[in-house]
Amino acid sequence: MSGVSRLTAALGLAAVVLSVATVIGLPAPLQAVAAITVLVLLPGQALTRLTQVTDVALGAVLVLAIGLGALTFVSTAMFYLALWSWQACVVTMGVITVLACIVRARQEVAW
Amino acid sequence: MIDELEVTRPTGGRWQRRDVLCIVAGVVALALVVGAASTVSVPVNSDLGLVAVLPYPFWIGVLILNIAFFVALRGDADGPARRLVMMSLLVVFVLVLFGTPIFVTDIPRGEVAFRHLGVSDALSQVGVDPDIDAYFNWPGFFALLATMLAATGLDPVTVALWAPVVNVGLWLTAVGAATRFLTSDPRRRWLVLWLFCLGNWQDQDYLSPQAFGFFLYLVLIALLVGPLAARPAPFRGFRRADLAEWWRGRAPADDRPGHRVGALVVALLLIVVICASHQLTPFMMLVAITALTLSGRVWPSRLPLIAGIVLVLWLVYPASPYLVGHPPLEDAGLGAAITSNVVDRVSGTPGHVVVVQLRVLLTIVLWSLAAAGAVRDWRRGRLDLRVILLAFSPVLIFPVQMYGGEMLIRVSLFALPFIALQACSILLPTEGSARPSSRATGALVLTCFLLAALTVTGRFGNAQYDVFADSEVAAMDAVEEMAPPDSAIISAAHPTPWREDAYLDHQYRTIEDLCRQDLTPATCAPTVYEYARRNAQGAYLVLMKSAEASLVIQGDTTTPDFAEMERWLRTQEGVQLSFRNAHVRVYEVVPE
Repeated sequence: MSGVSRLTAALGLAAVVLSVATVIGLPAPLQAVAAITVLVLLPGQALTRLTQVTDVALGAVLVLAIGLGALTFVSTAMFYLALWSWQACVVTMGVITVLACIVRARQEVAW
Repeated sequence: MIDELEVTRPTGGRWQRRDVLCIVAGVVALALVVGAASTVSVPVNSDLGLVAVLPYPFWIGVLILNIAFFVALRGDADGPARRLVMMSLLVVFVLVLFGTPIFVTDIPRGEVAFRHLGVSDALSQVGVDPDIDAYFNWPGFFALLATMLAATGLDPVTVALWAPVVNVGLWLTAVGAATRFLTSDPRRRWLVLWLFCLGNWQDQDYLSPQAFGFFLYLVLIALLVGPLAARPAPFRGFRRADLAEWWRGRAPADDRPGHRVGALVVALLLIVVICASHQLTPFMMLVAITALTLSGRVWPSRLPLIAGIVLVLWLVYPASPYLVGHPPLEDAGLGAAITSNVVDRVSGTPGHVVVVQLRVLLTIVLWSLAAAGAVRDWRRGRLDLRVILLAFSPVLIFPVQMYGGEMLIRVSLFALPFIALQACSILLPTEGSARPSSRATGALVLTCFLLAALTVTGRFGNAQYDVFADSEVAAMDAVEEMAPPDSAIISAAHPTPWREDAYLDHQYRTIEDLCRQDLTPATCAPTVYEYARRNAQGAYLVLMKSAEASLVIQGDTTTPDFAEMERWLRTQEGVQLSFRNAHVRVYEVVPE
């Protein structure tokens, strides 16, 4: 049995920090980088790690596909439910990332 | 455990002089291409498109790049050059083939990217209203775009400008991931990516749901041939008992259940998102999943059923308002499909006909190479049924829907990665990972340089009407500013840079739609005038150089006829010139 990996903790922490920073607002280039990271890359990476993919190329493409796919799912659902705002999407994707990190952390503790 | 067919070449080691020279050649090629493209002036005045106005350094750059790639691909006895070299050359190739217009102008090509920005903007303002048009029945991609644009603060037009490069980059990563499960030859893996770029004349990589859907489709295929793949049992015949035994004898290619479950969950997410984002891609997806499953190559055997249920549920519920007026099989039939996709497209000015013929030629060349490669693999007993199924399954959709005359384009795009993979079998040596000879490498350079010339001609063959001048965009902005809500804005043809931020504010019409088949001045001009005058809020008639060129090039009208139509319209009661610049005239038509 071992502890939670640093990467899992870093992903969860980054999701919280960047979600808050993106919603509050950052100067122009940083806002784009932070938003893409928190909306696509972090949830993509956190969810891809749950699939236990070992192939580097497939893993890389899954980070993008899962990140974009999950954001599409969340945004579309919010539009249909008349709840959409980009801030709500940012918070939701941040929460998804944190939840994925918690699941991963439990797996790591169990291993 | 399966899996990816491992590359044997070590990735470490010292840099060789060849590696450095290849990277330098790539940089030189990019500099030549950027320099050459930046000298092109807009609007483009040739019905052959960009190929007629790109200066010779562009072609020298393309040639150098192909030489560098094939020198790197030939590599040495261990395999091709190191991964960083191959990837950097591929990045340059993407910039060259798909980014050239970005070096010509900072305005996105084509009307549709502008329209898609408008849909996304409208969605964020009014939400999902399926009665507006088809886009609001498949809003997935637009919801993604609205969120991304609002959260990042990026300029929407800049996003649309760079979309082709980004989309092709995404496609290549997915094709690269899929081919790792389909071939163990590293040279083949790199060459398929190069050929994929060379065969990609279809121009579907702009900011669009289909580009996004195609990326997800390719990732889904990578999962189906990777973690979700099955090893088929030996096939004994078509008797019922034999088939049952063959089916039961399948085994998962990946022996880690957790890995398979994870991949299955991802596949389900992708299926749902594809169904919510685009009309056509779910059908391509369903056919591909079904073909692979029925061949015994996919482990979760109910996946076609699940994909079919998701697709049908989307059609009968969120997309039902659109389908009520547009039954899916309304215009089905092979004859109609051929007329719409082939016959109607091979018409227009001589230059445009040449461009269309070269597109067909490029497709035929690649499919012929793939066929020859398939025969070669079959003779050697190495034919991979999955590649054949993935290459040919999109063809099954061809007669089902005309899709505005674009079905053949979409079919060739969905087949392209696997056609390219099969073509590698004839372009590379017969023996597994053998190094091509110097002569074969030279022949490959020449072949791919010619294919690049065909691709540039095919992709940018409509530049006379899909590369807009600054003055045209400025005029359209001015019209959308001055036109009151619900007024009509009438352009000559669809290639018009409009609707990106006023999608629902006006009634957008084109002369080619109003007059349908007959654009002769005597018939069409009164039709347009009547429509404009009857609109209670008035109308603005926008005559821009690119839209007029579109009608002329495609043979719908002639320059004298179009001038005659404008002459007639501007002399009518209630019509006055309200805006003019170098390439645009705008007439205001007051209501009756």
